[in-house]
Amino acid sequence: MIATALVPEERVQREPEPLLEARGLTVEYATREQPVRAVDGVDLAIRPGEVLGLAGESGCGKSTVANALMQVLRPPARVSGGSILFRGEDLTGRSREELRRFRWRNVSMVFQSAMNALNPVMRVGDQFVDMMRAHERVSKQHALRRAAELLDVVGIDKRRVRAYPHELSGGMRQRVIIAMALALNPELVIMDEPTTALDVVVQREILQQVRELQRDLGFAVLFITHDLCLLVEFAHRIAIMYAGEIVEEAPAAEIHRDPRHPYTIGLMQSFPPLHGPIVRMTGIPGAPPDLAAPPRGCRFHPRCPRCTPDDAPLYARQTTERPVLREVSPGHRVACHLVEAGRR
Amino acid sequence: MAQVDPTGAVSLGLPKPRTRGRFAIPGWLRLVLGNAKSRFGLALVLFMVVIAVIAPWISVAHPNDFDLLAARQGPSWHHLFGTSDQGSDIFSQVVLGARRSLLLGAAAAALATVLAAVLGITAAYAGGLVDEVVNFLTSVFLVIPVIPLLVVVSGYLKTRGMTTMILVLGLTLWAFEARILRGQALALRNRDFVQAAKVAGESTWRIVFGELMPNMVSRIAAAFVFVFYVALLVDAGLEFLGLGDTSHTSWGQTLYWAQTNSAVLQGEWWPFLFPGLALVITVVGLVFLLAGIDEVSNPRLRTQRVRTRWLVPRREAR
Amino acid sequence: MSTAELEVRGLTKHFRAGNALFARSRVHAVDDVSFTLRPGTITALVGESGSGKSTIARLLVRLYDPTSGRIVFAGGDAAAARRRRDVLRYRSQVQMIFQDPFGSLNPAKTVRHHVARPLRIHGVVPRDRVEARVHELLETVGLVPPEKIAAKYPHELSGGQRQRVAIARALAVEPSVLVADEPISMLDVSIRLGILNLMLELKQERRLAFLYVTHDLASARYVADEVLVMYAGQIVEQGPTERVLGEPLHPYTRLLLESVPDPSRAERPEIEVRKGLASAAVDPPEGCRFVARCPLAIGVCSRVTPLLQEARAGRRARCHVTAPSSATREDRHVELAS
Repeated sequence: MIATALVPEERVQREPEPLLEARGLTVEYATREQPVRAVDGVDLAIRPGEVLGLAGESGCGKSTVANALMQVLRPPARVSGGSILFRGEDLTGRSREELRRFRWRNVSMVFQSAMNALNPVMRVGDQFVDMMRAHERVSKQHALRRAAELLDVVGIDKRRVRAYPHELSGGMRQRVIIAMALALNPELVIMDEPTTALDVVVQREILQQVRELQRDLGFAVLFITHDLCLLVEFAHRIAIMYAGEIVEEAPAAEIHRDPRHPYTIGLMQSFPPLHGPIVRMTGIPGAPPDLAAPPRGCRFHPRCPRCTPDDAPLYARQTTERPVLREVSPGHRVACHLVEAGRR
Repeated sequence: MAQVDPTGAVSLGLPKPRTRGRFAIPGWLRLVLGNAKSRFGLALVLFMVVIAVIAPWISVAHPNDFDLLAARQGPSWHHLFGTSDQGSDIFSQVVLGARRSLLLGAAAAALATVLAAVLGITAAYAGGLVDEVVNFLTSVFLVIPVIPLLVVVSGYLKTRGMTTMILVLGLTLWAFEARILRGQALALRNRDFVQAAKVAGESTWRIVFGELMPNMVSRIAAAFVFVFYVALLVDAGLEFLGLGDTSHTSWGQTLYWAQTNSAVLQGEWWPFLFPGLALVITVVGLVFLLAGIDEVSNPRLRTQRVRTRWLVPRREAR
Repeated sequence: MSTAELEVRGLTKHFRAGNALFARSRVHAVDDVSFTLRPGTITALVGESGSGKSTIARLLVRLYDPTSGRIVFAGGDAAAARRRRDVLRYRSQVQMIFQDPFGSLNPAKTVRHHVARPLRIHGVVPRDRVEARVHELLETVGLVPPEKIAAKYPHELSGGQRQRVAIARALAVEPSVLVADEPISMLDVSIRLGILNLMLELKQERRLAFLYVTHDLASARYVADEVLVMYAGQIVEQGPTERVLGEPLHPYTRLLLESVPDPSRAERPEIEVRKGLASAAVDPPEGCRFVARCPLAIGVCSRVTPLLQEARAGRRARCHVTAPSSATREDRHVELAS
């Protein structure tokens, strides 16, 4: 029986040194006109053994952050500012060989629609072998045995090692991908919308499995999704992204109980409840901004229900100054002029 | 502002109209001008077209005029491209021949493309018996080797006039593109907007012409360009073999005469080089145009050249 | 505006399995489905991918022909209509909103074209009134200013706006029934409610009958008056939304409810992981199709296919245990006794 979805805060805080950290990370896409900043000055820290959720809608930059952290950005995208630190060491500027070894062994990734990333003409076991032999010197039999073990660990019959990807269902293929991501015992697994394409029941099964594995093997998870409700249940801490910036960051229970940023509040109110009274809800009017020409000042202000010209000095700040992440309570940071001014 | 299309689906229609400054650049113009390759190719082709158009004014003599005194002369100021064994001016032959060669190639390409598009797309959408019949026809025409067939047909034809050649080429070259266009249409027909048109009550032919074709313009344009240069080469080949119309002049004909009069054996390179060069320029132009169109319509083929700044200032941590 | 009901009776759709021309196996995408869509109500059809819900949507708008069964509408069987005139008349009453806002609009045509075409095909208004009607429809779905939007191409609009264009197009023929196939699942979270609210408005103001196909129970609860739960091609539970979600009868409905992310539930029992797929079976054998994953399964479940039975007032479920027929009740007594 799973007690609560949340790990007690104390255990996580005892290990303050972050595993993977991004400081002022900025990613630009070169276009014919001005370069577009998909990620603008993001600070992120993932501690060992914790599940950090990164939530946001399309265009907010969350997938770009993941790709940047893994150093797998492809032109025309590139890291144009900031640094990425793994256990305190700067990753930017490392040689390709060093990065190759770092990837998968220390940090691995489960991409969006990864279940379609399996080679359709190779058996599942062989793909494991391929992957493992790229990183370690192992014999084929040893690798196959390990593959079977890993499949068992994620809840797939060991005999499926000999199956082709098309013989497995979507949910099983996703589990195979997760198994591959865990093959080298990484300390951090980045998951980018790993269950979005799957049924709600399969999603819950897989996440339960990941949770168990996480407890047993002790790896950290960066879980990227648009489903904030899922994160409240699954993550320890949640960071909310909007238009390339982090606007709020807090322990999962607190995001649910006391969201402070108007965008977070709007987002939480975009999920109709399964229990309780049915009231008319509105979501958030408008659409995310075009990152080629983001709004001046606070990027959310055109859609913010609390941004009006009534309060002139505050309005001036909201439209000219970018808000900075500030701690409003232990472990809870918000980037909002209203919150700073004590209006919320 | 528009969200990024998550499906990454390739649009085979025209590129979207874009506004630069005060002018809205229409889709078709972007298609042919949007890319360095297509611009280069288009320039070459337009060059030949212009030559063909002004040919009557720049040719110095009737191509079939012969002047035995001036026979077999190399290029000179008087005869820019030299003369043939009969004393005909090669320059005139090439520029006037351009008219026939280009016209024939374009017309054959147009016929083949229309056939390929109508048959291929209708077969894809209608399915069933129509699809079976068209597939069968396509297979038959694909299996038959084109040039030997053309040799045999030309051998039997009484008249080898332009219309006949256009028909013959058009009817043999449609099958290849028909299959390709059918494939693309098959992929498109299961897209929701086609289904939505059906649910709205659109008739089959309106869907084929109104929904499917406009989304395949790039591919159809590419088909046209492809068949154009194939037709050019095949036609030149047929004429070179002596199966063309000897009463008119064209590039292939000039090559034919040069061959039958053993020009090379006499060390005369000019009756070969110049018509051959004209052919090569046109075909190369079309090939580049085709490559450019393909790149513009399929973004995945594009290689992005990103101007990287070598010195990137490091940002301070916030 | 017609206020007719649309009744589906015994709708069945089997596809050929595999590619062989003479393959004997059949995929049972939809098996003996019956329900009624009433004016001024939203009926949610809930199920996982492969459960057959999208197939039902397409059957209702006649993109597929059923293997058997009837669609009773305006006094006739729409599934049997063959003449273009009859089919066109049906299409003027039953329309569809597709799932993919990026794919359901023709990228080469303007918004105006999309909304005007149905008007012209069905002659809804005289030619000189078409433009004005297009603007009215765009305003109805909240796209303003209509003149500017009408001239735009799909790629110039956001996902939410495109879906509204799709709704305007569906409304153009003044239908009585709208089939919405997962209309919000590909939209950003914060925009979804806008579309759901629009659906509620349309239901209210135009007395439309909606079939809302979805895999998302929460949104079904928000908009739907009645809910149909599908599993492996069959309806397994049916009834008023609040009752079904508040007190689910079928074990699959319970499983769905437990799986949906719900932050307000602090404690959550661990779900039993049992292998099985919710999708259409190939040549399914007799017996309940959920038996492999069912925590309540008893002997009869693998032998006899349960029927959709009335278990409480206005509610039906397909389960030997929670909604047994009198025949199975006897069987069970015999089993328990032995």
